[in-house]
Amino acid sequence: MPQPWESPKDDISDLLKSLSAKLGTGPELGGRLLTAAGGLVVLLGFATSLYTVEPSEEAVVLRLGRYVSTQTPGLHFRLPFGVERVVKVKTKVILQEEFGFRSSGKDGDRTSYSGDDFKSESLTLTGDLNVANVEWIVQYQISDPKKYLFNAREVLKNLRDISQSVLRRVVGDRIVSQVLTTGRVEIAEEAQRLMQEVLDRYDIGVRIVTVKLQDVNPPESVRPAFNEVNAAKQEQEKAINQAEREYNTVIPEAVGKAEQTVRNAQGYATAAVNRAEGDAARFRETLKAYQAAPTVTRSRLYLEAMEELYGRVETLTIVDKGVSGVLPVFAPGKDAAAAASGDQR
Amino acid sequence: MTNPLPRVVAALAAIVVLNDSAYIIAEWEQAVVTQFGRPVGSPVVDAGLHFKLPFIQRVRRFEKRILNWDGYPNQIPTKDKKYIMVDTTARWRVVDPLLFLQTVQNEAGARMRLDGILDAATRDTISSHNLVEAVRNSNKILDDLKAAAKAGRDAAPGGEDEVVGEIDAVGVGRESLSGMIIERGKAGLKEFGIELIDVQLRHISYETSVEAKVYERMISERQRIAQKIRSVGLGERSKIQGKISKDLQKIESEAYREAQNIQGQADAKAIRIYAQAMNADPSFYEFVRTLEAYKKGIPSGTKLILSTDNRFLDLMRKR
Repeated sequence: MPQPWESPKDDISDLLKSLSAKLGTGPELGGRLLTAAGGLVVLLGFATSLYTVEPSEEAVVLRLGRYVSTQTPGLHFRLPFGVERVVKVKTKVILQEEFGFRSSGKDGDRTSYSGDDFKSESLTLTGDLNVANVEWIVQYQISDPKKYLFNAREVLKNLRDISQSVLRRVVGDRIVSQVLTTGRVEIAEEAQRLMQEVLDRYDIGVRIVTVKLQDVNPPESVRPAFNEVNAAKQEQEKAINQAEREYNTVIPEAVGKAEQTVRNAQGYATAAVNRAEGDAARFRETLKAYQAAPTVTRSRLYLEAMEELYGRVETLTIVDKGVSGVLPVFAPGKDAAAAASGDQR
Repeated sequence: MTNPLPRVVAALAAIVVLNDSAYIIAEWEQAVVTQFGRPVGSPVVDAGLHFKLPFIQRVRRFEKRILNWDGYPNQIPTKDKKYIMVDTTARWRVVDPLLFLQTVQNEAGARMRLDGILDAATRDTISSHNLVEAVRNSNKILDDLKAAAKAGRDAAPGGEDEVVGEIDAVGVGRESLSGMIIERGKAGLKEFGIELIDVQLRHISYETSVEAKVYERMISERQRIAQKIRSVGLGERSKIQGKISKDLQKIESEAYREAQNIQGQADAKAIRIYAQAMNADPSFYEFVRTLEAYKKGIPSGTKLILSTDNRFLDLMRKR
């Protein structure tokens, strides 16, 4: 594997020296050339020994391939001519990997996504042996640049492999309806935890910032059936609501009517008792007066009543006791006549 | 100061010799020094500047870091005869560069060995277990269901009781399957100076020809669930309608009972009041009440025929 610092610049300076020595005719020219070359070397060395580390980075310094230190942002000095080599790592930047889709170029303010070509990443078996299309993102940060550089050759590939493996494991422990609806947050959290566990085992200096599920759908051809389940839920709710509405229409009214019935009865009760008491009082008073002169009062009451009664009837026919046969003519009034005749004592 | 040529040649020679005898090993490298193909000394694993004999010794560098192996997706039948595609990846490391050099030469050689050994290990492991063992890691689903059943939650309408068919218990689990593949792989790879760090089942999917069948099954499952949900809704509606009828009759009959009770008590009270008053002189009461009844009971448009026998007409008769 070719590493850039393996062609030491020392060769060049030595070559310059030797060249000047070879070409130099006089000591003066040679000397001047040597001085010039020397100056150039110093200048070159100085120029290549300064380096800056950006605020988002940390720099790992290797001296002849061996790790020396990790430098924080700022201006730093290193030994020139490939003796010290600096590898800058973006440790402060939060990086993102996408699974099951790729966000591509921006269309106006909106990022456009394509997910069709990444079915092999997103199709996932659930615990009840159904298939779900799960898209997710992993955000991570390089937490230890030294481990990041020295412990694995393809950190990103490891991260992607682990992310897929772990997410499938987590989804595999849930049923499809959980994956599609209620389990999303839980799945993301568990996946994050497990991913970190595995990555820590590799010790490759990566910290998972977050795992987030994006679109989680049933496969295209199955989607209508899943929608049907949702529709059925709505129907169920509708049926229940309808019945509740019916209940709420009927029962309160019935309660009101029941109350009305009871109140009516109470009214009747009060009236009946009052009437009885009134009648009783009247009777008692009348009786008192009657007992003072019973015979006269009795006759008077009778006559007064008859007077009033006979005074207001439409026709009054008086028939002699011996006459009979006239009654059928007045058949309609028979009842009244019977009543009247029945009153004799 | 006569002729600089010998000095220049000497210097150049020195540079060439130095350049070929010193070598740098980076932190992520390790190396084996060979002399005419024969390894010399122990492998170099420390990073930094090292020296060797120029020209006759050669440095062969190897990775010290974790390397990846990406398996070709394999179609494997499981123990329960389900055809699935299994896509595995592995991480490995050269732990014995000398052995590695002797047995597989380089990474390409190692990859071939890994292909053979890990594919076989994966195939053996997957095909000796049921599909669920490779999909699920634990019996979480069953535990959840049990817990839900205990809490009586799945009796509630509209609950997430959407499990169809039976969920087989997992005896081994996904992680343990990985573990088995690792164990099998490790043993085979040791002799190549390779340490197998782990094997991950990256992707398990139904084989394309099976997929359509699986989707059909999923559709029918969902339809079954939808039907169940719907009829649960209808059932609930009937329950509520029944409750309406029950409550309605209860309310109405209770009101009736109370009303009758109240009225009866009032009637009884009235009767007692009347009786108490009238008992003072029953015959007078009867007389008065009868007269009153005549007055009320015989309306004004009545045609009345009286017999002369009538007491009212006594005086008429006697004349």
